[in-house]
Amino acid sequence: MMQAKEIMTKDVVTVSGSATVAEAVKLLKDKGLRALIVEPRYEGDPYGMVTETDIVYKVAAHGHDPKKMHVYEIMTKPCIVVNPELGAEYVARLFANTRIRRAPVIQNGLLGVISISDILRKSDFVEKPKSDFDRYCEENPGAREARMYDD
Amino acid sequence: MARISFSLCFSSARFVVHSLPQRNTSMKASDIMTKEVVTISGSATVADAVKLLKDKGLRALIVEPRYSGDPYGMISETDIVYKVAAHGHDPKTMHVYQIMTKPCIVLNPDLGVEYVARLFANTRIRRAPVIQGSLLGMVSASDILRKSDFVEKPKQLFIEDRIEVARAEARAVCKEKGDTSPDCAAAWDVLEELQMVASDQRKKQEDSGKSPFEVYCEDNPNAQECRIHDD
Repeated sequence: MMQAKEIMTKDVVTVSGSATVAEAVKLLKDKGLRALIVEPRYEGDPYGMVTETDIVYKVAAHGHDPKKMHVYEIMTKPCIVVNPELGAEYVARLFANTRIRRAPVIQNGLLGVISISDILRKSDFVEKPKSDFDRYCEENPGAREARMYDD
Repeated sequence: MARISFSLCFSSARFVVHSLPQRNTSMKASDIMTKEVVTISGSATVADAVKLLKDKGLRALIVEPRYSGDPYGMISETDIVYKVAAHGHDPKTMHVYQIMTKPCIVLNPDLGVEYVARLFANTRIRRAPVIQGSLLGMVSASDILRKSDFVEKPKQLFIEDRIEVARAEARAVCKEKGDTSPDCAAAWDVLEELQMVASDQRKKQEDSGKSPFEVYCEDNPNAQECRIHDD
């Protein structure tokens, strides 16, 4: 199974929670991105994220002035983060279960962002869908026929 | 959409031949939509859909109606990842009809961008086809963010409704607490602020080439001089 780090997007842009929404929109447009990561403010502070959807749902939909609203007012923080070793299929499962579409990939720092598009475009779920046997073994790791023997 | 003023027979009042007054200032769905739309049949496999999405660099495909009266459908990246990839199903043996959204919410090309955003937020969707007679395009959250003028010209929705409420509230407060009370003054300040926002939005309307009379009539459709008489 491909891992998150193999299909993530490494081009990530961060923004401060105190920036205005207008600044975030400009960054998104200039960089051609759909989300920005809000870096932790201090050690132990969680990661945050602000997406196109946050801006459209919470600012544009109400006619609020993006120049007078701030990222911290609409961001998702803490956001769900993904471990770089997590399999692409589990990323898909995690996204489906939590109804999210992207998440930062974190391990001792920000490594990238993985999105629905990355899974669709870069993973091998079409060529190598898991077999029923794979799935059976995963769900029943104690079954005799599922036991794994290293050489 | 021309307003024709009759000053010939009625010198004191102006009669206008027109349908309902319309506000044309804001950008519309048709102004920001993506016109490159690709359709797919509901009977195609999910693997076919993935290939199309990749080849065309799109995030969703439209499923055309099968017959007149059949609704439009849509299949997105999210449908495929949530319903196929997340379960390890084989995209070559699953079909579009099993995971598509049909009927899907569709947009009228004349809907204002701020109302598109509101509709998306209320229904938790991110894109919708623009339909009038046939498929014209697709509007997504990205289109709103990248092509609309919501940063430069934020447009408060329902401003006239809010003014009406604020005016009623101000009158009530002043009646209860007295016309010279600070509460009364504050209530009128609120109203005044809303009116300023409205007038600011109207100003942009004038900039868009409307006469002050047209703008006045739009805001006061019941005023005598604005009454509309269809032939």
